[in-house]
Amino acid sequence: MGTRRVRQHSAVSGPRFSVGTTTGALLFLFAIPLFHLRAQSLEAIALRFAGMTAVTGLEQAMTDSLLALLPGSTRDRTGNVTLTLGQGAPKRLLQCPLDEVGYVVGNITGEGYLLLRRVGARTTYPLFDQQIEGHRVTVFGSKGPVPGVVAVKSTHLTRGRVATGAPDPVFTVDNAYVDVGAATAAEARALGIDVLAPLSLAKQPLPYGDRLLAAPVAGRRAACAALAAAVQAKPKVRGTVVVAFTVQSLYASDAGLASVKALLGPFTDIKTASLPTRYTDTAVETVALADVDKLQREMVQWMEGR
Amino acid sequence: MRTLAVATVWLAAVPSLRLAGQDSARIAEAQSVLAPLVEAYGVSSAEGPVREAVKRLLPTWAKSETDTAGNLWVRLGQGNPLVVFVAHMDEIGFRVTAVRDDGSLELEPRGGFIASLFEGQPALVHTGKGDVAGVFIPRDSGFTRHTPPPPRVDVGATSRAGAIARGVSLGATVTMPKQYVRLAGTRATGRSFDDRVGDAALLLALRHLDRASLKHEVIFIWSVREEIGLEGAGVAAAALGTAPRRVHAIDTFVSADSPLELPNFAVAPIGAGAVARALDNSSVTPPAYVDSLLRLARARGVALQVGTTNGGNDGSMFTPYGVVDVALGWPLRYSHSPAEVIDLKDVASLAALVRAIAESW
Repeated sequence: MGTRRVRQHSAVSGPRFSVGTTTGALLFLFAIPLFHLRAQSLEAIALRFAGMTAVTGLEQAMTDSLLALLPGSTRDRTGNVTLTLGQGAPKRLLQCPLDEVGYVVGNITGEGYLLLRRVGARTTYPLFDQQIEGHRVTVFGSKGPVPGVVAVKSTHLTRGRVATGAPDPVFTVDNAYVDVGAATAAEARALGIDVLAPLSLAKQPLPYGDRLLAAPVAGRRAACAALAAAVQAKPKVRGTVVVAFTVQSLYASDAGLASVKALLGPFTDIKTASLPTRYTDTAVETVALADVDKLQREMVQWMEGR
Repeated sequence: MRTLAVATVWLAAVPSLRLAGQDSARIAEAQSVLAPLVEAYGVSSAEGPVREAVKRLLPTWAKSETDTAGNLWVRLGQGNPLVVFVAHMDEIGFRVTAVRDDGSLELEPRGGFIASLFEGQPALVHTGKGDVAGVFIPRDSGFTRHTPPPPRVDVGATSRAGAIARGVSLGATVTMPKQYVRLAGTRATGRSFDDRVGDAALLLALRHLDRASLKHEVIFIWSVREEIGLEGAGVAAAALGTAPRRVHAIDTFVSADSPLELPNFAVAPIGAGAVARALDNSSVTPPAYVDSLLRLARARGVALQVGTTNGGNDGSMFTPYGVVDVALGWPLRYSHSPAEVIDLKDVASLAALVRAIAESW
């Protein structure tokens, strides 16, 4: 890696409606009380969604939230949340992939540190793993979210020990020791943590500038917020529109979208909600909320056949 | 959402500050003093918010004064030998050095740390009008681990005028949002435990010490600009000259209690108590003083470890005046990172030791 450049366009040109692409299903591992979501503006929903975690393939908590947010929606056998609007022909699909590249616990050391495995392979930012080094993370254990940190060498103890010009390879997930405060493996397990527990950076969505929003996978989450808000706007649908919040877009051959197509298709047209982003794939991936507003309007128009 | 002012939205998944059911009163009190100090911002030379937090947490009887450097002093007791405690208020961070035509901010570091830990993370620019949110711009080339290009911050402005309109000015300090968060047991994480734990230990000691039992004068100093060269302590040391008998720098014992560190030295597990920082890069405590300290701790039932670590301490600014530096600390994991980890038992232990020294040594 090393050739890719972080996209740094200034507040992007506008929402994208990519045709026929996609990706799967999102698991939001971070349930937010939905009665809150119902009463909120699109901007507030985008903030809420950006604060959620949905490691690809492990999106249960988020889809639980979506089911509560969107009356009439159902979860299919793969985990996608779908909602059918209107009836008759044409039959079209409007989908938003919700999942993210993240981590699961792969092992627990005798000293209580968690070792990790990355889940999802499509991140292209060379420093993706390095973003967790020395930062707070959240482990989603069976007893609820558990805060932890990823160990980093103490600045003071590196002094005089690193030769000038010594190799400085990037941090990878194999270097990660997660410290949740446990002193033994048993203490970690007592917190509800075990192998396969999902983990992500502690999410702290950050509004800044002129209606900009920064967060990990902010683009996807804001696009899905726009789709949810478009549904809530009760559009007068032309024909049938299947709305799908899809899981596993970043793993297992896009199993979420494939499942929707197999179970609810065929579709005459497929559109994927997405937004342009700045600082893509970083912890401060940024979207312009004006673009989110525009995307919502465009999706309503598309559903209405205008 | 407004462009100015804080704008940090924390949608944290977990409560940041909890009191575990089994917390003892001393652990609960340690947390209640430490948490607000950790969540105050105070890059070197901009310690005002921390100083105000310390003042708010002082016992009502304590009379404080601020010297020309910005150090906060509390004096109590009378007579010789004069003993000084000093803990620093400042934290590592950045300062704005230029505003580019595209509205991004150029920065210089204040203190020593791994700059890549800030890269691609949320940022806060501390201005006279309040905090301005932004992001530390991630690099787009030169992918190494710890050697990022010079740091810059994007506050969402597209021009120099736009950035200035948000309240940004040259010299403004820059950090990232931080939060005190409890971990398992009595452990906690946050940024700038170095040296807010020291600040808290002085406050906790003041709250509990028996003023009537003091046999000599004691001065508690919360100092400024330690991270950029022990500058505040230097001013205090010059003001006191040869008067003090001992100085106790109360600062971090950077611990090798981590799977990433060599165990050659700095071996002091977190949770095992305060640490006599008997040898570091700036001072050596005379062995007889270490022995005396150990006897005192034993007599008072205070957990105390002895070790050697890296770093300098404020007390070393007093030694040129013939003042003995008996530096004390508590073990810290992952120093100068956004994810420092402590054990509250050590905070309570350190506070008890400070109190014991003031009253009995």
